[in-house]
Amino acid sequence: MAESTGLDSEPEVARLLAACVRQDRQAFQRLYELTSPRLLACLIRLLRNRALAEDALQDVFIQVWNRATQFQRDRGSSWAWLIAIARYRAIDLQRRERRLVAGGAEQFEAIAADEEPHESLMALGHRAAAALDNCLNALQERQRHCILLSYQNGMTHAEVADRIGEPLGSVKSWIRRGLAALRRCLES
Amino acid sequence: MNRNNPDILDLLAAEFVLGTLAGAARRRFERWRGADPFVERRVRAWEDRLAGLAFQLEPVAPSPGVWASIERRIGPAQGSRWRAFAAAVAAVAVLGLGWFLWQELRVAEPQAQAIIASKAGEALWRIELAADGEYVEVSAIGSVRYPDQRSLELWALPPEAAPVSLGLMPASGRLRLALDERQRAAVGLAANVAVSEEPLGGSPTGAPTGPVLYVAAIART
Repeated sequence: MAESTGLDSEPEVARLLAACVRQDRQAFQRLYELTSPRLLACLIRLLRNRALAEDALQDVFIQVWNRATQFQRDRGSSWAWLIAIARYRAIDLQRRERRLVAGGAEQFEAIAADEEPHESLMALGHRAAAALDNCLNALQERQRHCILLSYQNGMTHAEVADRIGEPLGSVKSWIRRGLAALRRCLES
Repeated sequence: MNRNNPDILDLLAAEFVLGTLAGAARRRFERWRGADPFVERRVRAWEDRLAGLAFQLEPVAPSPGVWASIERRIGPAQGSRWRAFAAAVAAVAVLGLGWFLWQELRVAEPQAQAIIASKAGEALWRIELAADGEYVEVSAIGSVRYPDQRSLELWALPPEAAPVSLGLMPASGRLRLALDERQRAAVGLAANVAVSEEPLGGSPTGAPTGPVLYVAAIART
């Protein structure tokens, strides 16, 4: 597919989402085709299991169909809304699972094994993405590392602390300060 | 938690979106978010700020069967989805009808109320619709038994239409659920409200998925 599924597809995604409110199934299918590969990538990363991630993807699109009326465009982008629905669904599933599995240590070793370098968002050629990239790079290394670990893997403070072998208190304060700095930077 | 400290609220919103807010605090924040548009706006702002991070991952095309399953789940165009639910509702006796008469009013001149009672007749929650229709207030007034690791979700049951979620029921205390246009319309038309048991955080589909535990008639004042 040559078409864009980056942040610059935002106007198209917003249009399709608006059509879903009118129960337009064709638009819904088009929305699925355009956005599902990115949402699935997030879900696989968070759930570490393709079959689970595809089940979650179903739930996400059912929610999108049923809750499209609740999307308010003036409060944020439609891509961000879709990504948030997918991430919250995965985080809920993941935490329910972890409560059942005693000792999650093995899971974290698996995560450690395929940690990816933070690839440049600039490649997306989008101003918002470039700003986020700049602001992330302006953070202290450990602040950025903790925030990325948490966002991409859905880790709690304790899980991040465990993973990087640093005290819980330090991790909490790095994340807190990192988020505050990120906000200041993005708003400047 | 209160909204008078915007810095703390903003940090909570950030940590909710990031995922570091966990356990009971996460669930509390989720309910708060659903009930307060001011909090919801903070959450949306953070979702927006961080969304770019999701674009760092290489897209993965889903298996062909996924779309077919979604289509099956949204059902054949319009309206048969809720019929099974309507049948479940009919099977639960409508209780608590006379109760509202004795209840002390909490919301200033509510335009409607319902009392949700146990099968034994003990009042568990009072639900009041604000005079301006902007919100419903749910107060736990009896000894509520909240199922472990599950959520109880409140639904308005408009006639001949799908149930509309109004939000999650509080285990204790009082919770204000802000209504959007669709919810206001559903509450305006409904004769009954129902409570169903759902996965933690509420129905993942936007339609009831669990058993119907309670149904109560809405009394308009």
